[in-house]
Amino acid sequence: MAVMTTTSAQASTTGKTAATPAVRFDQVSKAYGEVRAVDGLTLALHPGETVALLGPNGAGKSTTLDLLLGLKQADSGTVSVFGTSPREAIVAGRVGAMLQSGGLMDEVTVAELVRLACALHPRPYRAADVLARAGLAQIADRKVNKLSGGQVQRVRFALATAGDSDLIVLDEPTTGMDVSARQSFWATMREQADAGRTVLFATHYLEEADAVADRVLVLHRGRLLADGTAAEIKAKAGARRISFDLADEIAGTDEAALRDLPFLTSLDVSGHTVRIQSSDADATVHALYGLGLYPRNLEVAGLGLEQAFVAITAAEEAKQK
Amino acid sequence: MKSLIKLELARALRNRKFLFFSVMYPSLLFLIIAGNADSTTKVDGTGLTLPTYMMVSMASFGALTAVLMGNSERIAKERESGWVRQLRLTSLPGRGYVLAKTASAAVVSLPSIVIVFVVAAAVKDVRLDAWQWLALTGAIWAGSLVFAALGVALGYLASGDAVRPITMIVYFGMSMLGGLWMPSTTFPDWLQNIAKWLPTHAYADLGRAIEQSSAPQAQDLAVLVASFVLFAGGAAWLYRKDTLKA
Repeated sequence: MAVMTTTSAQASTTGKTAATPAVRFDQVSKAYGEVRAVDGLTLALHPGETVALLGPNGAGKSTTLDLLLGLKQADSGTVSVFGTSPREAIVAGRVGAMLQSGGLMDEVTVAELVRLACALHPRPYRAADVLARAGLAQIADRKVNKLSGGQVQRVRFALATAGDSDLIVLDEPTTGMDVSARQSFWATMREQADAGRTVLFATHYLEEADAVADRVLVLHRGRLLADGTAAEIKAKAGARRISFDLADEIAGTDEAALRDLPFLTSLDVSGHTVRIQSSDADATVHALYGLGLYPRNLEVAGLGLEQAFVAITAAEEAKQK
Repeated sequence: MKSLIKLELARALRNRKFLFFSVMYPSLLFLIIAGNADSTTKVDGTGLTLPTYMMVSMASFGALTAVLMGNSERIAKERESGWVRQLRLTSLPGRGYVLAKTASAAVVSLPSIVIVFVVAAAVKDVRLDAWQWLALTGAIWAGSLVFAALGVALGYLASGDAVRPITMIVYFGMSMLGGLWMPSTTFPDWLQNIAKWLPTHAYADLGRAIEQSSAPQAQDLAVLVASFVLFAGGAAWLYRKDTLKA
């Protein structure tokens, strides 16, 4: 899956670089007192991309989205959406957004709220279609304040997709959903992306970025730490996991030799089993045979994005110290 | 924007507690206060009978309840829940939210005024000329905008748990001191001197001037206009502050 989306992302970025970017941040900064939430951020999202915004709490994800949606004003730098100001893009109906902090009007039904969202959109869809697509048809007559967390998220999604918007922005959209709800949510989201929309989402669920996004932006302390496909991000973290067993119990001298293997970033020995993380697995394994050892059950696997992400962040923090 | 007004209105009409307090309660209070009063004794220095006097007070009180309560608490709550933020992601103009709230409150306040009039005419035989009924309805309805603006200001000023007590203090303080519950002529002199500068006092005075077929007093008009400018200006300032912060 990740490989497939990677190719389509590259096609769309190379094919459309001349077009006006869906989103452009140019040296954008935003501080709250001493804290620089967003620090000289420069980036461009191209039409048709599905982009994940990844980062730990406090990385500046929500502030970035608020700036993008015109809910906050940058201290310096410029933010443009389809070449205009965020507010102009919203008024033109080009942006649909789902905020984590976006509350709902209470004491009204799901259908009433969705009809309102359709009425407020310059290029609306039929409310019945929006309800069906968001999986809300069955609970259309329920009061908004009587919904579960996952249902509330689906209502927010319906509000974000009430019309024919070109850019959809989602802030941690699957919070509060169970696994199956999450899967059906992303299936719906992919339909949006396949229809040629630009999708930007912030997430804590790193596997989502891996599975859904063409492109991953890693944000750390308000700055862009990495920008690439999920595969590239993993590679950038240098992260492959090598594991094998040795016939004999591993002694001190062997362990010292293992520790000296090239490109090794971590070593874990327990009994007969050795686990290694390496930034160049091919070279590490080659050198391993050079030691005259005979590894059995050799496995080389990519790290999950989560571990890659931890590694990138840790490396960045080490650099700053 | 029309769709938001419609939905706000549907929601207000569905809320029985709110409807009771803004639409029925003023009429009930009128019956309790004026119920046993005879229809000939005049309230000091006004030339109006107690039922006639209290009818304007209670109609003003009803309109005040509808617009002040309708705006302040809901705005504070919806600001906190993030609904206001969500609306800012739509093509609705920035002021649309506040205007829709005020418009729907005004729709609810109209029946509360009219019901007080109907009860007063039917039960306590209050009789006025046709132009006076119309002018009263118009003046009280239009005057309620002053307090709608105050409600918006309070909604953007306070948040969460603070908004209800603050609104209540303002609401009861203004109602009582403004002489909506009992004629302010019964107050000690020093309190009367304070009361006559309150917008609620000027508001009810405006209605009574119509009942007396006399021209409204310049001071009342000045107090109402100044209050409106103050409240609306405050609301606009707080709104802008909130928008930049959110």
